[in-house]
Amino acid sequence: MRFVDLISETLHSLTSNKVRSGLTILGIVVGIASVIAMLALGAGSQASIEDSIQSAGSNLLTISPSSPGGQGSGFRMSASSVQSLTREDADALAELGLITGAAPSSQGNAQLIADDMNANAQVLGVTNDYAAVNGLTVANGGFITERDDSAYAQVVVLGSTLAEDLFGIDIDPVGEQVRSGSMLLTVVGVLEEKGVSGFTSVDSAALIPLSTQQRYVSGNDYLSSITLTVIDEEQMTTAEESAEQLLLSRHSISDPDYADFQIMNMADMLDTVSTVVDTFTALLAAIASISLLVGGIGIMNMMLTTVTERTREIGLRKAIGADDNIISLQFLAESVVLTFVGGIIGIALGWLIAALGGGLLGINAILTVNAIALAVGVCAFIGVVFGYYPARRAAKLSPIEALRYQ
Amino acid sequence: MASPVIEAVDLEKIYEGAGAKTHALRGVSFSIEEGEFAAIMGPSGSGKSTLMHILGCLDVPTSGTFRLAGRDVAELDLHELAEVRRSTVGFVFQAFNLLPRATVMRNVVMPMLYTRVDPEERKERAAQALRSVQLDEDLWTHRSNELSGGQMQRVAIARALVNDPSLILADEPTGNLDTATGDSVMELFSRLNDEGRTIVLITHEPDIAAQAKRVIRIQDGLISEDAVQANAHIVQYGDEAAGKDGGA
Repeated sequence: MRFVDLISETLHSLTSNKVRSGLTILGIVVGIASVIAMLALGAGSQASIEDSIQSAGSNLLTISPSSPGGQGSGFRMSASSVQSLTREDADALAELGLITGAAPSSQGNAQLIADDMNANAQVLGVTNDYAAVNGLTVANGGFITERDDSAYAQVVVLGSTLAEDLFGIDIDPVGEQVRSGSMLLTVVGVLEEKGVSGFTSVDSAALIPLSTQQRYVSGNDYLSSITLTVIDEEQMTTAEESAEQLLLSRHSISDPDYADFQIMNMADMLDTVSTVVDTFTALLAAIASISLLVGGIGIMNMMLTTVTERTREIGLRKAIGADDNIISLQFLAESVVLTFVGGIIGIALGWLIAALGGGLLGINAILTVNAIALAVGVCAFIGVVFGYYPARRAAKLSPIEALRYQ
Repeated sequence: MASPVIEAVDLEKIYEGAGAKTHALRGVSFSIEEGEFAAIMGPSGSGKSTLMHILGCLDVPTSGTFRLAGRDVAELDLHELAEVRRSTVGFVFQAFNLLPRATVMRNVVMPMLYTRVDPEERKERAAQALRSVQLDEDLWTHRSNELSGGQMQRVAIARALVNDPSLILADEPTGNLDTATGDSVMELFSRLNDEGRTIVLITHEPDIAAQAKRVIRIQDGLISEDAVQANAHIVQYGDEAAGKDGGA
């Protein structure tokens, strides 16, 4: 039998029962579409997380206080209660060869009150280096200067969102005043919108001089983090080691396992986050593939019904001279065509769902070649595997019995 | 004399069911020459269906020799049998067995899909076959389930003709048709036979068998009578003698 004839016969018998073929295809479409949508959204969110981490700067080392002992369990979040890093540590680190900048910061929360609006915001005590190290740009006004820091100046640079929350969009906040506890802060600048970078967003934070923050907000001389910029990404590991050595000796700790700080490498963080997102995507895809399996069983079900219904036709075809292989090929072709059509529609629909869903979630859905290859592979597998049994059953029918079948 | 289309020697067929053996054919020998028009007649259970299956290469005899168009088919495997059916036998069935949703043309073309005939030639051969069964050309593009019984059987006969088989094997071809339509189908067979086709039809109706040139009667797995009829083309209702059969 010629290939074109095979396809023509297949299409003819599939279109002879449009409703049933359509419903079977629908099963495959739903399965493939959900797998594709999940994978595309997964890939999209991974890319957006990677982007935001990279936009924070991939040559950054973040040092945060950490409770001593039990190293090796990844990064821990219970760092806020530990007080170990000081401004002097930051200054010493800045002197290291591979380090181009060190930005100490102290984090706290405070109620900020403008004229008639107020907001509870993260108040970060920072030095002038903070903007450069974290890649912040000032949209309006200036940034905190070294003089502000040494003078305990009551000035504030507002994140873009926070500025809007306190002053609305019509008023230029620069020069306005914000009250917080006993402080009366003068707004000296507004930051450009940065988006989520790493795990914090400066858009909704208020930046004040480190000295001011330590005196009025946190009430102690400790830091919540030191961010270092390394001269280039290749030297990250070396820089990390030298920073660790320096801090260990400064804190008089001999065993690195008992360090009272931890250093987080942005590259490591990227890896960790990617792994998490990968796992999550795989989980979603696994759930979605259950519907794919159901679609496959749907195909088998339909093909088995078809074999029974077309027993006489099979008998006729055999009488006319089709041998077993051609009969099973014809039935196999039908299931493969069904899955193929379902697969193509499913990929398109899945992509559409991912694009729409991504739009709602603020993720750029990404349809990877791998996802398509997987979907196509699974389709082919389903078509052949679930079509094989009915096809063999059709082929094995005795033409005599089949022709007598009523 | 031309070489025989069918040469059956001592055909036996034994079905082994659950513990019980059924002797469907007990040694059937006959031959059919090219250009013959023979009816195999017998009541149900006589073994005529079994014989037809063997003649049509749908089944193989348990023992005996069977040559179809000079080829020994008794010991062929399933694939080879399919190949023989494809090239040598044209089937016509009682229930027509057309693909209901396919057009007349598609139905007639179908056997050629399995013999790898060029698409161009297919149309030509199908048209030729349809013309020879005198089916109105307007109907060629109709779906087969839109046709009358007689028209359907004509399509089925055209389908049997397209691969130019050595033998046309018709199993109760008039069984689902009314008498008048059945007669017109029988006339068609006669005409095809006049054109040189070898036709074997299986029937239990004496009136139908009477229209063949030769009647082979089967009873209990054996040939009970094998007779050539002189004026086979003349349909003689109510004249039992014409069929040399008292009825089954």
